[in-house]
Amino acid sequence: MAKTPIDSELVRSLAALLDETHLTEIEYEAAGLRIRVARQAASPVSYPAPPAAPAAAVAAPPPLASSPASTSASEDPSNHPGAVKSPMVGVAYLSPEPGATRFVNVGDTVSEGQTLLLIEAMKTFNPIRAPRAGRVVSILVNDGQPVEFGEPLLIVE
Amino acid sequence: MTSISLPPPFSLIALDRIDSTNDEAKRQAANGAGHGTVVWAGEQTAGRGRRGRLWVSPPGNLHCSFLLHPGNTPATAPQLAFVAAVALCDALLELLPAAPFKVKWPNDLLAGGRKIAGMLLEQGSPWIILGVGVDIAHAPDPALYPTTCLRQLGSGAGPFDVLAGFCGHLAPWYERWRQEGFAPIRQAWLARAAGIGGPVTVRLADDTKFDGRFIGLDEEGALLVETSDKKCKAILAGDVFFSE
Repeated sequence: MAKTPIDSELVRSLAALLDETHLTEIEYEAAGLRIRVARQAASPVSYPAPPAAPAAAVAAPPPLASSPASTSASEDPSNHPGAVKSPMVGVAYLSPEPGATRFVNVGDTVSEGQTLLLIEAMKTFNPIRAPRAGRVVSILVNDGQPVEFGEPLLIVE
Repeated sequence: MTSISLPPPFSLIALDRIDSTNDEAKRQAANGAGHGTVVWAGEQTAGRGRRGRLWVSPPGNLHCSFLLHPGNTPATAPQLAFVAAVALCDALLELLPAAPFKVKWPNDLLAGGRKIAGMLLEQGSPWIILGVGVDIAHAPDPALYPTTCLRQLGSGAGPFDVLAGFCGHLAPWYERWRQEGFAPIRQAWLARAAGIGGPVTVRLADDTKFDGRFIGLDEEGALLVETSDKKCKAILAGDVFFSE
């Protein structure tokens, strides 16, 4: 196969220059040869940003047909220091079984280790326990709602 | 009960009667019982299924719970449901090689479309409890699904025979999962699965139902269903019904 010989020395020199100058991109053209070296970080000129949130698409949880308890964008609950987050993808249950009283309600005082809700995935049930004693100030998911890994479930202050 | 033993790493606690073997296994865990402890009861007085459903547990059927310490994260623990389903399918096939045993998502066992076994897993820290019920001498009255039992299929095996056989298959599948991850388990499960490619009805936690076609398992074990508008849904929890 006819291959264009690559001047690796030239590429190395350009890459070193890139580092030295802290540029994001260098294009070099000579004698019908054009070489461009670029770093990926923040280079909106020649490299379009990767598509947003590919990880979420891979996990492919059931679509949230019924809207979850509104988590308005104004205050992201995942940044809240008292947020209790889901350790797994699954379905959240607020009571031990249908029709039973809920594990906790907003305003309840909970002790450390107390069960707050259940997450089910593949018929495996995982009780989510209070990481510390406190008061439940909000519950961010509905009963039977699919949740993502790391999604804030409720806030205990 | 007599002094009988199970193959390693399993150690048996045999009881005539208990409320729930899962609950007893939790109590044993709280008292320091270790990996491989198996609680087996001749009868459960408060046997549980998914979401608080009753699991009818008369003497003559197998009711047991395994205390396991897989040492992995909550996110991968549900894979154990498939490990156990594959192992139980192989154990039952060893007893009745010609019987049409299949696994049903995520971890029920069917024989000719009738439910013969179910499992319920509960996670703690650092343990996970695998509860297993196999209908051996008695098929319960059908509730959600039609049922059968090993005796109806022509097996004379007793509960301990089934338990020992299950342990013999669970140990190597469990090790394989620990060493090679979920991929070989998923493949083995799919090779034993009922209803692939066929119509299913799924009932979700909020009681909504939808119809579709069962097209497989995703990399985490979620049920993949293609809906009539050609969308693929990944189901993490729900009741699955095969259309007749």
